[in-house]
Amino acid sequence: MSVESTASTDTMEAGVPAAKLGVWWFIASEIMVFGGVLASFILLRLTGPGWAGDIEHNSVLLGSINTLVLLTSSFSIVEVLAANKAGDLEKFKKYMGITIALGLLFMVIKGVEYSIHIHEGLLPDKSLFWAFYFGMTGLHGLHVLAGIVANISLLVVVSKPGGLARYGHRSEMCGLYWHFVDVVWIFLFPLLYLG
Amino acid sequence: MAAAENHGPKNIVIWAYLVILALVSVFVSLIIPSPADTVVIFALAIAKAALVLMYFMHLRVENIFIHSLFFVPLALVVVMFFGFMPDINHWLY
Amino acid sequence: MSGTAASMHDAHHEAPTSFVRKYVFSTDHKMIAKQYIFIALFWAFVGGLLAYMFRWQLAWPETPVWGFGWISEDADFMPTGRIGPEVYNALITMHGTIMVFFVAMPLLLASMGNFLIPLMVGARDMAFPRLNMLSVWVLATASLILLASFFVEGGAAAAGWTGYPPLSAKVDYTGVIWGIDLWLLALALEFASFLMGGINFLVTPFNMRTRGMSLFRMPLMIWMIVIASVLFLLSVGPLIAGAVFLLLDRNLGTSFFLPEGGGDPLLWQHLFWFFGHPEVYVIFLPALGVMLEVISTFSRKTIYGYRPIIYAVLTAGVLSFVVWAHHQFISGLDPRLATPFSITTILISVPFAFVVFSLLATLWKSSIRLDTPMWFAIGGLSIFVFGGVTGIFNGSATVDIFIHDTLFVVAHFHSTLFSAVFLGGFCAIYYWYPKMFGRVMDEFWGKVHFAGTYLGFLAVFVPMHLVGVGGMVRRVADHTKYDLFIPLQPWNEWMTVAAIVLFLFQFVFAVNFIRSLYWGREAGENPWGGTTLEWTTPSPPPHGNWPGAIPEVHNAPYEYGVPGIDGEWVSQDQPAP
Ligand SMILES: [Cu+2]
Repeated sequence: MSVESTASTDTMEAGVPAAKLGVWWFIASEIMVFGGVLASFILLRLTGPGWAGDIEHNSVLLGSINTLVLLTSSFSIVEVLAANKAGDLEKFKKYMGITIALGLLFMVIKGVEYSIHIHEGLLPDKSLFWAFYFGMTGLHGLHVLAGIVANISLLVVVSKPGGLARYGHRSEMCGLYWHFVDVVWIFLFPLLYLG
Repeated sequence: MAAAENHGPKNIVIWAYLVILALVSVFVSLIIPSPADTVVIFALAIAKAALVLMYFMHLRVENIFIHSLFFVPLALVVVMFFGFMPDINHWLY
Repeated sequence: MSGTAASMHDAHHEAPTSFVRKYVFSTDHKMIAKQYIFIALFWAFVGGLLAYMFRWQLAWPETPVWGFGWISEDADFMPTGRIGPEVYNALITMHGTIMVFFVAMPLLLASMGNFLIPLMVGARDMAFPRLNMLSVWVLATASLILLASFFVEGGAAAAGWTGYPPLSAKVDYTGVIWGIDLWLLALALEFASFLMGGINFLVTPFNMRTRGMSLFRMPLMIWMIVIASVLFLLSVGPLIAGAVFLLLDRNLGTSFFLPEGGGDPLLWQHLFWFFGHPEVYVIFLPALGVMLEVISTFSRKTIYGYRPIIYAVLTAGVLSFVVWAHHQFISGLDPRLATPFSITTILISVPFAFVVFSLLATLWKSSIRLDTPMWFAIGGLSIFVFGGVTGIFNGSATVDIFIHDTLFVVAHFHSTLFSAVFLGGFCAIYYWYPKMFGRVMDEFWGKVHFAGTYLGFLAVFVPMHLVGVGGMVRRVADHTKYDLFIPLQPWNEWMTVAAIVLFLFQFVFAVNFIRSLYWGREAGENPWGGTTLEWTTPSPPPHGNWPGAIPEVHNAPYEYGVPGIDGEWVSQDQPAP
């Protein structure tokens, strides 16, 4: 790397905006957390006496609906990014609103499922499957909640005058995180509902 | 990044693929008895995750720093899984 | 300051004026570094005090610890100052946790990383100053929680610093009620703090280097901090997952780690040590970076093999992810895993041996100056090499089965960690204190402190290897209960006396540290003749780090005696003749 060829900026950059590098750093740590959780689940699942009887209690219908909800919210947050590129505030607000609404819908359906399980006496201490079920969906649910909070706060600051120009680029950071949460669910769904 | 928007398939098309794959995996789980369906379902899950990562998260067009922050943890999860396996999986012996 | 503000990267970051913004909720990386140092030194004192207490118990079991006799007879905790087995367990658990997570990491990684990264790569501040402030306050919260855990019902965590279940998974097994939950919470916050800090440690050297500072012109200290942060990032996740499981086991009656419910205690051991081994390097690499900087400066010679050192450490970083099971050779590990993990463990000493030989080659035929930092660097390195060699015994499964869970293992990891954390940490403090506070610490008392620490360490831990090979097991509160160990008891008494002497010598440091703040010799810009960028600005550096423009870099670090250039050494920002 030759020094003289450097452009006349103050700093030397690695070619990635700092905020994006930061979000990916965060995602890398999350991959290791969920990797540990999923590896533990799969290994104990393969060892154990078989949890098919427990999995029967999970509603494939509600799980599938929630999968579609999160997949669609992933699509809508990509549209937010496109809206930011186009400088289209109305589209930005519309799709961010849809994303937030879908996130909340996911949490509501999850809550309905939880109340059904608790009603049937299927609590975390019932068996190792239910321990994992509540542990994994609970951890994932907290991430969804954090994503909703991030999306709402972005929507609020962008709605201020001049907010889109100033904060619009954060839609990419929120989007990356939101997609990651979706990817985690893509693996949780078959493990907890279909397996 | 800009390349992803202009030359890649439209976002709605990716979304359609994702929905189709999700429905197929539910369908497979209903018609093929467990555990024979496991391989198919997980192949479909990996395909879905790959679509989200490549197109929605733009991993297709990122540089080596971002790639390392994704693929190195992924590789370590695999190392971890197979390193734990002989101990946690007592059916192996 | 107006000239500074105009050329600053973020023009809206004016120097704060109010007391709270300047000293408490500061976003200035130099103040944050000082906050980390004070947190670490506070915990080092607590950790040392705990060590004093349980060493007392080991030497003179069931007698009142000197200084604690005032505790009343019907107190819950240590009545009449006597330590029973339960309190002993809590003391060793908290000693380990505090020293690893609340001393080593804040002192070496967080404090030195925060202080040095912007100054060494030529930046005005960290990439995300507010995130930086958040990480120090999250650590402070974790500290408070850990401190509170001493005073809750049932006492502090007492399941060992590794927290192995089933012991840690049920209240009945240890008698600890809230202690282990608070311990897990404090650890979780500590991890969050260092993950947030790590973003800065990666992004700042990547994106905010000054003109001319290519990646391979960065001082080795920066490389070590970046690699250490990445190792932490990549290893801590599984333990976070395990901590969540353990919390559920303790509070919701699940059985992730309890065999009777279908769980597996070995799973925790794997999750813990998958993190635990890379963690050793998270602690050691910044210390190695300090030693590299100091040895180069005080031998007035360029580091031998700058790039090969980086590649060697990267190799060791990769290998550190495939050695973890060497901690589990006797815990029911699949025997087929023993050989592969022995081989990788012995392999990992190769890159570090390479780095040590590079340092020896740096010292070879150089003009060594024996100031206090240099004593600590060479002393620390020598003990680390010692610990590395005993590590080869532990890494070989056949030998480890004999010596595991004896004091030999304790002596081994104190050789590696004490040398890194304390000798390396003191080395860093003596070396960069002038830059932090504008004054130099007293040389004479610095050398006295070194002599006491170095010889005190050897007096404690060399005999500990011997009694360990003699079979004396660790995690036993009273060795005199076993006939086998009674002949070794005089050694226990000796080690305790030596440990007390070692502890007392740290007050020399404390007094010197405080005294030099006010009465130390004025440092000037560059008291040691260092070549890296932090020595090109006034001590202490102003807000924004350089009063004028950020210097431009023209040279590799560690250039000494370059033909055609006046003077003995060449600063990184000195233009070519
Ligand atoms: Cu190890």
